[in-house]
Amino acid sequence: MKVTFPHLGTMHIFCKAIAETSGIPYIVPPETSRKTFTLGVQHSNECICLPFKIILGNFIEALKMGADTIVMVGSGPPCRLGLYDLVQKVILEDMGLRYRWLTIPPRLTWQAIWKNYEETKELKKELSWKNILLFPYGLRMGWKKMMACEALEKLAMKVRPREVKKGETQRQLKKALSWVDEARSLRTLNEGLERGRVLIQETEQDPYRTPLKIAIVGELYTVMDPHINRGVEQKLGELGAEVTRTSWFSTHILRSLRKNKADQASERIRFFEASKAYLGYDVGAECNLSIGEAILRSQEGYDGVVHLMPFACMPETTASGILTRVGKDWDIPILTLILDEQEIEGRIQTLLEAFVEMLQWKRKAA
Amino acid sequence: MEEKGRIGIPKALMFYRYFPLWKIFFEELGWRVIVSNGLGKRGRLIYFEDSCLPMKLLVTHSMDLKDRADHLFLPRLVSLHRSYIMCPKFRGAPDIVRLATEGTVSILDETIDLRMREHSMLQSFLRTGKRLGADEKEGKRAFQKAERLFTNFQKGWEDRINQLPTRQFFEIDIPTPLPPPPSPSPVKGGGELMESPSFLDVKPVEDGCRGEKPLFRVAFVGHPYNLFDTDVNKDVLSFAKSLGMRIITPEGLSEKEIDAQVSDLSKEIYWSSGREIVGSLFHFLSGGVDGVVFLTSFKCGIDALLQEFVRRRLKVRGGSSIPLLILSLDEHSGREGLTTRLEAFRDVMEERKRSNA
Ligand code: SF4
Ligand code: SF4
Repeated sequence: MKVTFPHLGTMHIFCKAIAETSGIPYIVPPETSRKTFTLGVQHSNECICLPFKIILGNFIEALKMGADTIVMVGSGPPCRLGLYDLVQKVILEDMGLRYRWLTIPPRLTWQAIWKNYEETKELKKELSWKNILLFPYGLRMGWKKMMACEALEKLAMKVRPREVKKGETQRQLKKALSWVDEARSLRTLNEGLERGRVLIQETEQDPYRTPLKIAIVGELYTVMDPHINRGVEQKLGELGAEVTRTSWFSTHILRSLRKNKADQASERIRFFEASKAYLGYDVGAECNLSIGEAILRSQEGYDGVVHLMPFACMPETTASGILTRVGKDWDIPILTLILDEQEIEGRIQTLLEAFVEMLQWKRKAA
Repeated sequence: MEEKGRIGIPKALMFYRYFPLWKIFFEELGWRVIVSNGLGKRGRLIYFEDSCLPMKLLVTHSMDLKDRADHLFLPRLVSLHRSYIMCPKFRGAPDIVRLATEGTVSILDETIDLRMREHSMLQSFLRTGKRLGADEKEGKRAFQKAERLFTNFQKGWEDRINQLPTRQFFEIDIPTPLPPPPSPSPVKGGGELMESPSFLDVKPVEDGCRGEKPLFRVAFVGHPYNLFDTDVNKDVLSFAKSLGMRIITPEGLSEKEIDAQVSDLSKEIYWSSGREIVGSLFHFLSGGVDGVVFLTSFKCGIDALLQEFVRRRLKVRGGSSIPLLILSLDEHSGREGLTTRLEAFRDVMEERKRSNA
């Protein structure tokens, strides 16, 4: 048995840690590349969600490298995400790829994973008692690593707009993340995290800058995955903006665990409430939150909002229409970027440059 | 009864299934119902957001009505089935229209969510009635009458769509002509609302199949608005009829027949429309018709995903001997492209018939 999982930002570090700690063989799909895009696009159709295509591409690449078991967090209505697996399974089958599919129930409790899902029955036979006993430790390790990754990424978002040598923060961040990834024990993990923090902070910075403040909102895969969004977060940072986002892997896990008391979840509730001035119902996915966050960020003195959505995304299409009005009503510039599989990196760079420049003018004029 | 005012109903989305019900309800309460004009020849589409064509049409039609109606009727359609839901975009549709019309017109947007008792069709209409000043008794009476006539109306559906021009499908005042296509002899039948003299104008031959016996039975599958809104599909149905096709739609299938096709999937399709589409495609492709046409909206999230699913599943199951044509529609698709493809499709069906004979 060799398990694999899709890419989503630094999520592979989390998955890998679980598998590794519990001694389950795994294959990390190759880093999402042009080839991944091409594979995903070739085997789906134009108006299917971009995240669907990328995940499919990841799976195809991993299966071809010898993985045989796909692990994917399940989802449900109202949007398409809940039916990705239905369609991806038949596509893989049609391609003649052999796989087994393990859905982690959206309400993630580790007991639930071992419940009587037909899928797990087969797997359990292949797992040793050791694997199963170690699994909770694996989860703990994975969780700790994920929190470490997020802490480092958040730090980098602060440092980036102040860096003197463009690109230095990103290099340091990469190094720091690899230390987290490589840690084999909680002790080495903590050390890695601390060293990583110091490393990122050591980036040469200009303390006199007052960076623009920009919030990134939108569909979660496009917000969280730098390959899908073509590095919007990094690009904005390097253009001199301090970026915030509320979609993190942990946010969504906590949400599925219904740990609503966690800070980030209650922030989501605030956004949701704010959206009610424009939307009378929960449209689904991140739609209402995109709108609510844009409103609240403008009240919090942010300079602008970047709204990310995949081409033909249903809830975010609704959001984008409403955001145009929100931008006017609350006097906050909002840039909607529609992401697809075309070679759009250059265009995105240009759009972001123009946007940042406009925000700088606006700030000076105020 | 004195007319209380005007209710504007945009000719878009689920208008293409429920209009007769909606219309009778409001008329029973003493309101006049007006509908928007189609896009027409030079019709301009109003872009509020870059959505699928059916949603853009909703905005366009609402704009057309906003100055002529006292209220727009735009229920928030969350679910029209006791267990399945509508596309997420329907949930925000009234809000989109409210923003697009800049709040200049009152919008009746009570939620309909058949999964919840308090949002049943009846409850939702009672609330709507209340907003119009009708008490519960009046509302109930109006709704029950509307429901009764609507059920009746749905019965002759297949004959209706095969014998009336597309624009008359949903005009409940026009009775369904009796099969076989009548010569100018008087048309009989119809509901209680037959006072309207307009049924005399019915000319089934106008864009129907010219009284000849149709040569092919063809199932047309898709969201109701893709099937029946001529602004979406350039009236592909009347062209199909002129090519000698008898049109069958999923409206005629029972829920059981649809479930039989989709209940064993590894994951339940939770959109009612999506279920109906996938179920009826598999149903029709397994026999009983000469061909199947799937009308999809480009940029429709549901169609895109399920279309891939249907294609692949057919393939891994060894395919179907019944020809399937998928037509993707958007504001740029021209009538010519559609007719050419439909003609070619007719030829395929003809060829198949000949070789099977
Ligand atoms: S939110 Fe957008 S990208 Fe995600 S499943 Fe829905 S349509 Fe697809
Ligand atoms: S189901 Fe498809 S066509 Fe209908 S509103 Fe939703 S996205 Fe648009």
